[in-house]
This record gives sequence, structure tokens and C-alpha cells, in this order.
Amino acid sequence: MMARMLQLDRRILIGGIILVVLVALSLLTPILPLGDPAKVAAGPRLSPPSWLFPFGTDQLGRSNLPRVLQAIQSTCILSALAIALTMVVATPLALFAAYRGGLIDQGVMRIADVLFALPPMLMAVLVAAIVGPGWLASVAAIVMISLPLFLRIVRSAALSVARRDFVTVARLSGASPLRVVFVHLLGNIIGPLTVQFAYALSVGMLIESTLSFLGMGMQPPAASLGSLLFTGTPFIAIAPWLVLLPGLVLTLIVIAINLLSDGLRHAIDPIEQQGIA
Amino acid sequence: MRLLQFLTQRLLISAVTLIGVSLLIFVAMRLMPGGFEDIILGPFASDAARAATRARYGLDQPVLVQYGLWLKAALGGDLGSSMISQLPVADEILRRAPATIQLAVMALLIAIIVGVPLGVVSAVGRKGNPLVPLARGVGVFGLGVPDFVLGAILVYLFSRFQLGLNVGGFVPLAADWQANLRVMTLPAITLGAFGAAQLQRVTDVSAREVMTQPHILAAIARGDAPGTIIVRHVLRNASIPVLTAASTFFGYLLGGTIVVEQLFSVPGIGQYVITALTNRDYAVVQAGVLVGASFFLAISMIADIAYAVLDPRVGDPS
Amino acid sequence: MLKHSTRSGWIARLGALLLGAVASLSALPAWAADNAITWGKPSEILGYDPHVETNGVSWQFLFLTYETLVTTGQNLDVQPQLAASWTQDSPTSYTFTLREGAKFSNGRAVTADDVVGSIQRVIDPALASVWAAQLGPIKDVVALDAHTVRIDLAEPYAPLLAALANIQAAILPIAELKAGTFDPSKTLLGSGPYIVEAHNQDQSWTFAANPDYPEALRPKVPTLNVEIIPDDSARIAALRDGRVDIATFESPDVPALLAGIPNVETVVQATTNYYRLDVNALGENSPFKDARLREALTLALDRDAIGDIALAGTSQADYPLPRAFPQSDACAALPSYVGDRATRLEKAKALVAEVGNGAPVKVQLIASPSVATFPLIAQVIQSSLADANIEVEILQLPAADWLERSFTTGDFDFAVSWFTGYADPSLVLGWWNPDFAQWNKVFLPADADLSAQISLAKQTADGPERQALFTSICETIDAQAGIISLVGKPDIVGIRTDQINATIQPAEGYFQTLKNLPSFTRTGN
Repeated sequence: MMARMLQLDRRILIGGIILVVLVALSLLTPILPLGDPAKVAAGPRLSPPSWLFPFGTDQLGRSNLPRVLQAIQSTCILSALAIALTMVVATPLALFAAYRGGLIDQGVMRIADVLFALPPMLMAVLVAAIVGPGWLASVAAIVMISLPLFLRIVRSAALSVARRDFVTVARLSGASPLRVVFVHLLGNIIGPLTVQFAYALSVGMLIESTLSFLGMGMQPPAASLGSLLFTGTPFIAIAPWLVLLPGLVLTLIVIAINLLSDGLRHAIDPIEQQGIA
Repeated sequence: MRLLQFLTQRLLISAVTLIGVSLLIFVAMRLMPGGFEDIILGPFASDAARAATRARYGLDQPVLVQYGLWLKAALGGDLGSSMISQLPVADEILRRAPATIQLAVMALLIAIIVGVPLGVVSAVGRKGNPLVPLARGVGVFGLGVPDFVLGAILVYLFSRFQLGLNVGGFVPLAADWQANLRVMTLPAITLGAFGAAQLQRVTDVSAREVMTQPHILAAIARGDAPGTIIVRHVLRNASIPVLTAASTFFGYLLGGTIVVEQLFSVPGIGQYVITALTNRDYAVVQAGVLVGASFFLAISMIADIAYAVLDPRVGDPS
Repeated sequence: MLKHSTRSGWIARLGALLLGAVASLSALPAWAADNAITWGKPSEILGYDPHVETNGVSWQFLFLTYETLVTTGQNLDVQPQLAASWTQDSPTSYTFTLREGAKFSNGRAVTADDVVGSIQRVIDPALASVWAAQLGPIKDVVALDAHTVRIDLAEPYAPLLAALANIQAAILPIAELKAGTFDPSKTLLGSGPYIVEAHNQDQSWTFAANPDYPEALRPKVPTLNVEIIPDDSARIAALRDGRVDIATFESPDVPALLAGIPNVETVVQATTNYYRLDVNALGENSPFKDARLREALTLALDRDAIGDIALAGTSQADYPLPRAFPQSDACAALPSYVGDRATRLEKAKALVAEVGNGAPVKVQLIASPSVATFPLIAQVIQSSLADANIEVEILQLPAADWLERSFTTGDFDFAVSWFTGYADPSLVLGWWNPDFAQWNKVFLPADADLSAQISLAKQTADGPERQALFTSICETIDAQAGIISLVGKPDIVGIRTDQINATIQPAEGYFQTLKNLPSFTRTGN
């Protein structure tokens, strides 16, 4: 199965290239000759794209191109970090709950219920206010919102795997509980999890951008694509480049993640159905 | 009989969940730095004035005592009053609920009407069918564009070019349904776009899974009409994950939608609660969250019952 | 596409249905009624009791329904309101004669007892009103007859009339309040130009012209609707649609955003309000405990850049004594304002090098996003201070957190904030005396000389002697660098000139942005 996942198909290749190029450009921003993303009044306020400022300038006369590029890393890395963290917390917890069942299972699932029932944006604001504004607030909010989702997914995937014969065989043949859980269950749900990771990543970016809407995400002058979009939207009538360009980049990232996700899904479960219409 | 047992069990779990939610919110709000007295006194907060304000609203008592008092009153049906407007929270939430429910229903309808057919198209479409990339495109854009951006674009376009739908100026549905729809359509589209994208994706994924199953392959081999295959087999089998996604989306909308309510001046619950959170107007947040969570739990319970109807094999509610 | 006929038919029917629905809705209704003016306002009232409410956004409502003894005119000059006339009998005694026929909206005539009771209520320590101290050393308030009131002061107090003009000194129906039939924290019951007809919390208000108001001043248009529209873009859209006749804004970019809209005129109204920095000169962990770093801060600030960039040119450098006052000349030549920036920057750099032993100094700036311009101002400050090797980290704290840290715990380095400048120059200066403004105690050092000078300025009538005092006060404030004035905080008004005739007064001190509202008329009427 792992071997099949490594089989590169076109979607994985294209999605991967887009992401790698964007993140690389972003990481290289400080050494590329694009100007300082934090330089206030580098040009006139809200000036349209030109040779000097290829993405125009923002409300404080800063060049928009290095800002958009720099924002890619905060958006991608933050969301990826948050979702990875959620998976690291949720997977062992849910696997353990599914394997042990009973009170432990009940307890974990009731906590998931409580977290799931809270309106997500409200939870994001609460978490961000308690943690304090900044990148950590975004990560904490994404983790708290996606945690119940992952707990449920992993648990139900684990339960369905656990009913299959090979787990019972492993258990009867005297394998240790830990081994049963981690090797067999984990090995079999890694596929659905990876796909879920890609989806959650794009949701994570949305949560991050909404937190920026409330001023609680990245702190200025650092920016994420979400905070750029938020500060740009009031100017949609007179400086549309402030919304369209970061919006385009964000869409590109989501497309890339979707391609990766589709490709991975195909790699894991390669029976290609035929189109009928 | 089994349904009754199932319902009782779900109701019990929901009650426990609601108590958990209320306790979590109560403690979390008091963990937030800054309090109601800071907001109401602004920069003019002398120690004496702060103490007086805290005492007036009972904020000087231990948190658990405050929670106990709140829970006792809430169980008796009294959700308290806003410390800012002095108005009873229950009345205010009731007044705002119709707008929120209407917005949620409209957004859900848009999401289903747009999302599910597109999901089917992208799952069953042959290579080269121009609708397939279109369907996927909607899915990607809906997930990739934050609601405040889509909303701002709609606000600008519709007010700039007078496209017939209004931005703001809420009119209750009961007062004038035409005027109401003119105001509510844009926010519903803004919210529905995300749901449509989600449903497109979920329908796509689950329809694909179904499509590889032997009985569908057999039906295709038999030469059954595509429409029959889709309706009889694909949609029916994909309905549970789609229902789950749709109900989660709906429950989330009923919790209030902060950004869109603000952008389109819709007097709903989300705006009420988020303003209260900023103002540390504790009773309002507490009640708003409780109502949102109750909606959410009720919807997921209804969805569970629907599963049982759609797929009789789903007997075990756990 | 599916070749199955029923399905494509279904889609076609649905599409037709949706298109039909939109088409049937597409005729825009006529918004504006002939007998009403609609005001698009960003915020709802936060508190009803004028004597304790400190938020300007609430005052904008209170001014519609309540009256004060005197009011301010088009240029912050004192004008009669509930008092038709007054005399100053001695340096410490004023007599006011009430307007004939003034009535509260419940129909009862306003009496001298209401005035006495209202002023006594404001200064009652039990109420803990912020305005008590600003009303000055009031010794006694007495009703001479049903229409005459005398205020006696313990010592001369120049800003008395200006202080009485604030809505926080509003005249309430005291008899009803004492009888328990009127709760000022829940209802608006005054003698002002408007009466509340309907209120939909967080949505809208409807006011009717007060029929008992003097005819010359009574609202020309009988109904005033106030729509609460929190979002700037939505308020702009409402103005464009013509759904509101007039809208108020805080965002400095609004003039540019309104520029292309037909029939919309933008007015930038000067106010005595200004943005400021609160600098923590006392906190154990605040780097600004070091007076040298505070001096470097004032020298390195670029107020012009804040006005031009963060505030889009709608504002300019302001002094501790607000520029909107003619008396502000006294404070125009302070060390942190005069000379070219390069010279000031050199001095600042030298000071920072001393403080940091050659290394850059790191500080944290709180800029609450609760005021949209704060983060913008903070970023321009960050950029200017970088020129002097002060590295600023910006922290966007929610309002409650920011206020608690600034005014209670003192756990901050410096924070962006703003002052209401009121209607007499000496009123706002009072905030530099931490014994007077106790909430500033956590970060502002007490300076006995400064406090004495501020008190003296309050006792001194306008003239050269007062100007000299102002200069001296401003210099001390500039050197102390505890609260630093930045740039003016104008209000922005958008008017549909094809729908209404409106005049906006050039300067305002008490947040009464639309002071002339009663005189507005609909075009064509």
C-alpha cells in the first residue's frame, strides 16, 4: 500500500510542483530583489500594479508583491502545522478509545461532542483571546476546531478496520495490544487520514483567514493571505488588486492541495471507476 | 421500540453535551483577559468603579458559584439579561432566531441544489465532459475563497451596478416576503457557496466509492440508463455521507454566522453573540452558545434518524 | 451532460424557476420617504444614562433626546439651549434662566428643580460619574424660582459652561426619577428635539420631532430613522442605493471610497479628538521606565507620516491642546514637533544607543483592532521608530484586554489610544493629572507642578496669561512623554445631496457629529 502511494501520478506531480514553487518563492522573498514587505510608504498609497510594484501597493503604500509572497508561508505553514498537530493528538487518542472501548471511549467521544457542538467561529475567537493574538492563536483555534472531526473520523475508521479478520487474527496470534493498535490499525487508516489532511488544510486556511478578519491571527506587519484579503476587501472598488492577487494565490494553493488529495486518493485506492455520462 | 430507546439515549447524551458546553464556555469566558468592567468603564476604570461594577453584576463571586447560579436560573427558563442593553437575553435571541434560521435554510438549499448535482457530475462524468472541470472548479473556489471576500465582492457588484438584490436593510419575512428575499439572497449565496463546495466534494468522493462496487459495475455492464443508475444506486448509497455533511453545515450555520451577518447587516444570532463576546456580556454569550449548540445537536439527531430511514442496516446508534 | 431527458428537464425547470424569482424581485423599491431622514450609523447605543455613559457613540443618541443647559455652536463657542440666557454675577457665581415652555417628552414642563437635581446627581460621588470632576469645583446649585438656577463655585472655573454643554451634564426629569417612574439606564426621556418612537436593538431607531420644541429649532423633517449598519462597505452601499440619506464613518479611506459615487458629498469634520500614545513610564517591566527612551520615542515619531499614510491625509499632527481650538497656537512649537525630522532622529538615535548600549531596543505596542485605524497607526509608528533603532512588536489585543492592561494592571509598554477633546482646551489637559484622572495612575507619573499649572489654567479666563500657561503645560507634557498626542481624529460624513440638504459644522468637541440634524431638509420640500 505504501509503495502504491509513492507512485506519482500527474495530479500529485502538478499539485506538488505548485506548492513547492509557491512555498520556495515565499521562503526566498527576503533574498529576492522584490523589495521589503514591511517598508511603509515605499510608493504612493493604493497605486495600481506597475513595473515598480508588480502587485500594486496597499493602504500604507507598501509593495504588495513581497507581502503576498511572504504571506504564503504563514498561511501554508501555519495551517499545515495546526492540522499536523491535530492529527498527532487525535490519532493515538481515537485509536486508543476505539481499541479499549467502554468508559474511555465514552469519555473521549463526549469531549468530542462538546467541542463539535460549539459554534466554530465563536470557539476560534474564545481560544484566540485566551491564547493571545498571534500565530499561536491561529494554530490553537484550528486544532480545537478540527480535533473533534479527526477524533470521529479516526475512531470510526479504526472501528471498521478492527472488525476485519486480519486484526482478530493478529490478536489471537498473541500480538501485544500496542502492536495491534499501532501497526495494524494505523497502517490501514493512514490512507483516509492523508486525504482528510488535505481537506482539513484548506479549511484550516479559512479559519486562519477569518481570525485575521477579527485581528487575532498574524500580527502586523507580518501577514497571511487571509489578513491580506481582509485588509484589502474594503478597497475592492478602488484597488481590486489588493483582493484579486492574494485571492488568486490562495485559490492556487487550494487547487494544488485538492490535486494532491485526489492523486493520493487514487494512489491508495486505484480502482478507477468509469464515467457514465 | 428500538427507535424510542435510541431517542432516549440520544437525548441523554445531548443533555450531557449541553451541560459540558455551558460549563466550558462559562470557564473559558472568565479565562479571557479583560472583563465586562473594562469595557463598560472604558479608560475611566478606577479601582472603586471596577469593584462597584463587578459587585453590581455578581462578577465578584467565585466562578463556580456564578455558574451554579446561572445553571439554576437557566434550568428554570431564565437566561438572564444583557448587561449592556438590559434586555432579557431569551427575548433577544427569539427576536433574532427567525433571520438566522431563514439564512441557514436558504444557504443549505443553495448548497444542496448546487453542490449535490455538481458532485454527481464530477463523479460520473466521462473524460472530456466539459461539466466535470466546471463542477470541480466550483468545489475548489468555494473552499478557497473566504466568505468575507465573496461577500464583499457581491456587496460591491450588486450596489455598484444595481443588479436587483439589496445589500442590507433587513425586512422580516413575515412583513414583506419579496423585500425580505431581496435582502437575504446575497448573504445566503455567500454562505451557501462554501456549503456547495463541501457537498460537491463529499458527493463526488462518496459517489466514486459507490461507483466501483460490483452491483453498479454490473448495472453499467447491463447497459442501464445513466439516470437510473445515478438515482437508484449512486445517490441512494452516497446519501449518508452527504446527509452528514449537509447536517453539519446546517448546524454550523444555525450557530450564527458572524462575518456574513455583519457584512449584510442581517440581525441574526451570530452578530449578537460575537458583539457580546467582545463586550464580555457574559449572559448573552452563554445563552447564544447554548442555543447554537442545541440547534446543532437537534440537527444531528434528526440526521441520525434519517440515516436509519435511508439505510435500515444502520440500527446501532453508537 | 446526462442524456437522460427527465434530469436535464428538471435542471432546466429549476433554472427557469430561479431566474423568474430573481426577475420578479429586480425592481428596486423607492427607499426614501418624503417625511423622513435616514441616518446610517455604525454603532448602537451602549448605555442610556447620560450622566455615567462615556462612549461617544452613545452620546450621538443621547444628544437627540436630551438637552443640556448650554450647548456648543458651529465653532465650539457656547450657545444657549435649555437655558435661554445666563449671567456671570461674580467669578464664582452663574445664574441661568430656563427657556419658556420647555417640556420633557412625557409632557411635563422642565423646572429649575430638574436642573438642580441633575447637576447634583452628576457630582454625587455615589454615582461615580467621570464628568463630576470636569464640572469643576461646584459648591452649590440652587433653584431661585421655577425658571432660574444659580451655580456657585468654590473657586473660579473657566470651562464651566463648556463642561455643562456635554451630554454627561444632561437635564433629566428628576421628579420622575425620584418617584421611580423613570429609569435613566433603560429609557430616554428628555426635553431634546427628538422623541423615541421605536427601537429595534442593533437594527434601527425611529425618532419623531418633539412637538413641544421651540418652532425655530424643531426638526424640519418630522421623522428621523437611524439604521445601525456596522460594516463600512454596507454603509457605503446603503448610501449608494439611497437607502440612507446621510452616513457617518470613522475610516479615513472613506472619502476615496465615496469619491466615485454620484450625488454623494463627503465632509471631513475636524474634532477636538485626537489619537494618542499611552506610554508606560511606571511599569517595572516597561522599557519606557527610562526617561531617555521616552524622549527618543517622541523625537523619532513621524506625526506627518501618520496623518498622510495611516489616516490617508484626512488628518494632521495634533498637540496635547487640540488643534481644533484657536488657543492651540500656544502649543505649536514643542520640541518634538519643530525642526526637521533628520535632526530629531539623530538625537533619538543617540539616546537609544545610550539606553541599549549600542544595541536596538525592543518594545511592544498594543493596537486594539477594536478601532480600525489603530493597527494602521501602529504600523507607521513601527516603521518610524525603526529609523531610531527602536524595534516595535505590534500586539492587536481585543478591547477588554487592552483596556485592562492599560488602565488597571499596567502590564504594557505603550498603546495606541485616543482622547475626546471636549469643548474647552483645559478639560482634556486634566487627563495629564493622575490624581484627577485616577485611571492613568498605573502608567503616568504624577508631576505636582504640572498638576498645579493645569488647575491654574482651569481658573484662568482666556487671554495672554492663559496662553502662557498652556505653552508651559504643553512643554512639560512633551518632555514627560507619558501621554503623547499624535494626530487629529476627524469624523467623516457622507451626504446624498440629491436627497437632503445638510450642513455639517466645521468643528466638534462632544461627538455631536450631526449637530445640525434638526435643520436638515429633504430636497424638493
